[in-house]
Amino acid sequence: MVAHGRQCKIEGSQATARQTAELLRSVISQQRVPYTNQAGALIDAVKAVGEQLIAANPVELAVGNIVRRVLHIIREEDLSLTTAAIGELNLSAVSDDENDDDRDGNTTLSAAAVAAAARSTLRPPSLQTLLEDTPVSAAVPQTSSSGAADKSSRSRKLKHDVIEAVNELIQDIVTCHEQIAEQAVEHIHQNEVILTLGSSRTVSEFLFAAKEKKRSFRVFVAEGAPRYQGHLLAKELVARGLQTTLITDSAVFAMISRVNMVIVGAHAVMANGGVIAPVGMNLVALAAQKHAVPFVVLAGSHKLCPLYPHNPEVLLNELRSPSELLDFGEFSDCMDFGSGSGSPLLHVVNPAFDYVPPKLVSLFITDAGGHNPSYMYRLIADYYSADDLVVQRRAIAGN
Amino acid sequence: MWHRSASFILDKNQNDTVYPADSVTLTPPPPSSISTPQNPNPNLNRNMSMSAYYQTRAAHHGVVTSDWLAQSQEAATRAVVTGGQEIVDGGKSGRAFSVIDEFNNWRKQPDLAEAVAAIRALAAVIRNSEAKTMMELEIELKKASDSLKSWDTTSISLTAGCDLFMRYVTRTSALEYEDFNSARSRLIERAEKFGEISYKARKIIAMLSQDFIFDGCTILVHGFSRVVMEVLKMAAQNKKLFRVLCTEGRPDRSGLRLANELAKLDVPVKLLIDSAVAYTMDEVDMVFVGADGVVESGGIINMMGTYQIALVAHSMNKPVYVAAESYKFARLYPLDQKDMGPALRPIDFGVPIPSKVEVETSARDYTPPQYLTLLFTDLGVLTPSVVSDELIQLYL
Repeated sequence: MVAHGRQCKIEGSQATARQTAELLRSVISQQRVPYTNQAGALIDAVKAVGEQLIAANPVELAVGNIVRRVLHIIREEDLSLTTAAIGELNLSAVSDDENDDDRDGNTTLSAAAVAAAARSTLRPPSLQTLLEDTPVSAAVPQTSSSGAADKSSRSRKLKHDVIEAVNELIQDIVTCHEQIAEQAVEHIHQNEVILTLGSSRTVSEFLFAAKEKKRSFRVFVAEGAPRYQGHLLAKELVARGLQTTLITDSAVFAMISRVNMVIVGAHAVMANGGVIAPVGMNLVALAAQKHAVPFVVLAGSHKLCPLYPHNPEVLLNELRSPSELLDFGEFSDCMDFGSGSGSPLLHVVNPAFDYVPPKLVSLFITDAGGHNPSYMYRLIADYYSADDLVVQRRAIAGN
Repeated sequence: MWHRSASFILDKNQNDTVYPADSVTLTPPPPSSISTPQNPNPNLNRNMSMSAYYQTRAAHHGVVTSDWLAQSQEAATRAVVTGGQEIVDGGKSGRAFSVIDEFNNWRKQPDLAEAVAAIRALAAVIRNSEAKTMMELEIELKKASDSLKSWDTTSISLTAGCDLFMRYVTRTSALEYEDFNSARSRLIERAEKFGEISYKARKIIAMLSQDFIFDGCTILVHGFSRVVMEVLKMAAQNKKLFRVLCTEGRPDRSGLRLANELAKLDVPVKLLIDSAVAYTMDEVDMVFVGADGVVESGGIINMMGTYQIALVAHSMNKPVYVAAESYKFARLYPLDQKDMGPALRPIDFGVPIPSKVEVETSARDYTPPQYLTLLFTDLGVLTPSVVSDELIQLYL
């Protein structure tokens, strides 16, 4: 399973995300879960696979994002099942008192308290829960030990719920372009000039949707060296009947004063609101800021990463082949290791990505709506759990 | 008339109380005795006197001169006397127990955070109380918490700690326990555990910040923050190669103490005078500061000089990281530097200053959130905009 993920050189974060989600879904459905602590077993299994997937392709952040989303889903489903079970259980516990012997400690705890305590173990630490200790999470599974009939039905239910939720996740990934494109009409107005760099499927769907709604606007496409994917985008836009102008990346600063809005896609969005985007994006963002042009980033929610960029230029960048820049035949004498002093004088560096700091971004449009960069932490709190930031299988605590 | 802030009305009131008092001190000529300017006049409103909070911090971390020491002792005896009077007024008749004494005892320990001392003092209140119901206990706690807060109005973590504990008590009593004694013992136990929580918080913050310190970086530090010390200690233990530039931190000179501690850890340290920050800022990779309090806008209140450093760092595009525990989040929203209660601290210039020369003695300043990059707290790594969210969740 993992080798498949490693070998397949899938381009594009959406396809990668979808593959990862489907892979994890099959892992979950094949995983045999014990009766107690089923969520823990599932989480361990997913973490094991996830660790390998992330290690195989660390630059593709969507893999890690989906692994963490699935882990969060497992925890949430487990929690909602537990809360429901306790609710039922306390109704029955009133009648049979021998169940109370299992539970150590405060038997006077009401159902509301236990549920509140269980709820607090899932949520990220907050000021509210600061003074509470990690409470009766040990006692909670014990309550389920009474009633053998509940047990098996619960185990099946957990896997079932998790798989349903993962299916929803896959559905979201697949339809993210449509959901983002629905918002196009609110942002693109009549007779506007839009600038974009390179080619992004999200951006093209966004622009087509606006065109469908009979907005007439013009697009400046910066070609996006060294891959020149802007050329492809320009062709697509013309095929749809949009007035397009193709410019080089270096001409962006010259042309930006005539532009109303910059709309670009992203490779990944970091937790502080910073954007990992194809190389050259930082230049466009700076030019846009200089001329007070709104810089809008489109990103599906699978691109939202809960990590912070410590050293983005180094850590999260992929160096591509220099052949995209130079034709080896012409420059073979400069780049030859054999001749002269051993190491060549000419180095060719071809980074694939660029980091745009959050203060340069005006708006993020995700499938969950349009947001400020400083709002990203909210989406992250919704989609991810704090425990999953480091995907490692049961690291030994305390060193 | 020199003040241009919106809160000039507040200043005007304070000035009215200052001037008559000054005329009293001028009549006995102050020849040799005092090298420090404006003596805290016993007639002044307590708010204008030395901030006990900054006094304690200086005692812990600063370099102490002998006449400052004499002055502080005089102030301390005065404060305890008035504190004792307050307790008698508070209706705890016939008991020697005073929450303020208790608080002071805890606070003296240099490793203990302010909020922890406050919560321990409140735990002692619970232990010594004779209340039979939760409502009674809550009322006693509220009184004790109010007296603590009013005794030292300048300490933000004290206020925040008291508020946090009061919220916890209210929530616990409402929800969970039918039995009063078990509730009470649980409250006491949680309060005692808070010290551990605080200590653990520092460890969590240190772990979170490790990734941000890369090999070969230069860190600028201002003031002596125990949390930042923990961060740097852990980085040194993890064998990271980094260098620290440390400001002197006048008038406390707490930077000297910090430099001392870092030298013991074999971390290369360079001391700067406070004015040399802009000069060295381009060789700095990041700025690390602690916080006395984190306010609702996401800005921080910290030792005087922090705002200056943040401004310089921001203008040169250097990240400013703040390490603060979550119990320092306070429900304040200062609009400008003078919008907080004054926290004054005497400054020893080493030479006598003529008494008609005013001295700016405020011990702290407010750094607005736009100059801060990230906050490292035990709740995680946060951007400044998250702070108000957390506070709303707590107080809603």
